[in-house]
Amino acid sequence: MRLSLEQVVPIPLRDKINAYNSWVWNQKVTFNEGEHIFIQAPSGTGKTTLVHMLYGLRRDYTGMIHWSAYKMSDIDREQLSQIRASYISVIFQDMRLFPELTAYENLEIKRSLTNVVQEHEAIKMLERLGLKDKLNARAATLSYGEQQRVAIVRALLQPFSWLLMDEPFSHLDNANIQKAVALIKEVVEMNRAGIIMADLEDNNYFTYSRKLLL
Amino acid sequence: MKQDKKKKLLTRLLLGNAGSGRLIAALAALCIGTTLLLLSVMIWWNFTELLEGKHDNDSLGSTFLTVSKTVTNENMGRPQLTLFNYTEIDALRNAPQVQDVGVLTSNRFPVFATLNSTIGFSTEMFLEAVPDAFMDKKPQDWHWEPGNPQVPLIVSSEFLSLYNYGFALSQGLPQLSQQSIQSLAFDLKVGGANHSETYTGHVVGFSDRISSVLVPEDFIKYGNERYAPGVNTAPSRLIVKVKDPSANEFVKYLQDRNYTTNTEQLRWNKLRAVVQAVTAATGLLALLLMGIGTLVFILFVELTIARAQRSLTLLLELGYGPHFISMFMLRRFLPLVFGTVILSAGLAVIAQMWAAGWAGSLNLALAAVPGWPVWAAAGLSIVLLFAFVSRAIIVAIKRH
Repeated sequence: MRLSLEQVVPIPLRDKINAYNSWVWNQKVTFNEGEHIFIQAPSGTGKTTLVHMLYGLRRDYTGMIHWSAYKMSDIDREQLSQIRASYISVIFQDMRLFPELTAYENLEIKRSLTNVVQEHEAIKMLERLGLKDKLNARAATLSYGEQQRVAIVRALLQPFSWLLMDEPFSHLDNANIQKAVALIKEVVEMNRAGIIMADLEDNNYFTYSRKLLL
Repeated sequence: MKQDKKKKLLTRLLLGNAGSGRLIAALAALCIGTTLLLLSVMIWWNFTELLEGKHDNDSLGSTFLTVSKTVTNENMGRPQLTLFNYTEIDALRNAPQVQDVGVLTSNRFPVFATLNSTIGFSTEMFLEAVPDAFMDKKPQDWHWEPGNPQVPLIVSSEFLSLYNYGFALSQGLPQLSQQSIQSLAFDLKVGGANHSETYTGHVVGFSDRISSVLVPEDFIKYGNERYAPGVNTAPSRLIVKVKDPSANEFVKYLQDRNYTTNTEQLRWNKLRAVVQAVTAATGLLALLLMGIGTLVFILFVELTIARAQRSLTLLLELGYGPHFISMFMLRRFLPLVFGTVILSAGLAVIAQMWAAGWAGSLNLALAAVPGWPVWAAAGLSIVLLFAFVSRAIIVAIKRH
């Protein structure tokens, strides 16, 4: 699945974007299948906005975003849900877990959508990130770091061609980041997927094919 | 994860905030509305059945009138002037409100009935015949053919009352029940002194609609041809099926032609009009209540979806399709709607059984199960409720 952006400008940031030279906004950019892209962006330059637009959560932009033949501004809701279930996965900056469900149930609600990952594999992933004893804890009672790790595992429980990550390690310490990176690399490789990682600071968690400034 | 586990999680996320109290209240409102609607249809249908004289309802043959010409000083002693000719019968057939006209054919030959010697009762009598379609109670063996020595008779229940409460008491004769009369056989001598035949008569039923002694038409025809050949057999009385006998134009038609009928029937039909108006008003009220019940249920569904807004949004973000979620919600709510209508239909069946029993105690016949309009109303309710609830769910989910 190829991603192409043509002169994409988020309407709320239109005036701001004209003031500096972005490598993504208002440019023609193409990301090929399997590429590992890092997008560095200072706070307030539209990092989360970009991830949301790529994931189809926002349509308040000019220009065009294409996921292969799918034009995101024209795509219908059923097609969008199919893309989200089978082609594009995301780790939200704000985690977006169901607070009333346990960590395990938060994973199951995603895993059971496609059933490509087995239940025991999902639990094992959670264990690898050090959350074995938090399996049955309600998400609302978990710390931000724990929630972020659950959100990371959840994003890996579906087939995907692209993994979008919006500051995925912002609440993790270095040791947990290394564990999470290792897990993500493994699953991404297994899916032969591409990644788009958006973060504030430059990093080398993954082997990026391109680094762009937003 | 097994499917039921997934369903349980989705139920917790989407319906966890619904509140069982609110659900019960919404279902109760829907059930009350639907039940009232079905009951009003049931009442309307039962009245229709009774008032149109269906199911052999001999006490409420209110749309059937016996019409004759008024005997006045002018036509007194000139019986041919009190008979109806074909032109008059055809005209009456086309009169306002008239649906059908039947001829009451009377005997033109002498008839003498003798009960057996034990009671020692004998009387001269008259007989009439009426087309089967106008009879309120027609026994299965209601026929006669030449050579048959048995003649079935239907007697007006008014005559029995007159006998029991008037004649029998004054003459010291035994009072008779309908069953005891039906078990008696009596001799029916027809014809004059020179030429007569004797048949065995059996009372096979009692009519509340026609004040007469009825025999099969074939018997009257046979007797008139055999014992009164050449005599004018034009009818003196007609039985008329009328849509609304209390209608002014019909009453005026009768008055203009000096026809007479049973005015009590006219009064009853005014009451019938009132009953129909009340039934229609009840139906409208029931429709209104059902509308309110449906509205309450739909509001409950919308409130449930609104309360699950955060979960719903996140599920859509995770890749659950709007169609999948709509179907999930429909599968949760539609069985409830279906069950509610079934419960209402069950209550209508119980009410109909009770009504049939109650009507039976009044000598009226009502079916033990609700008529087809009740089932049609239940079916229509299901279809409409499914449509409204489905639309409400799909629209509410589309908003996200």
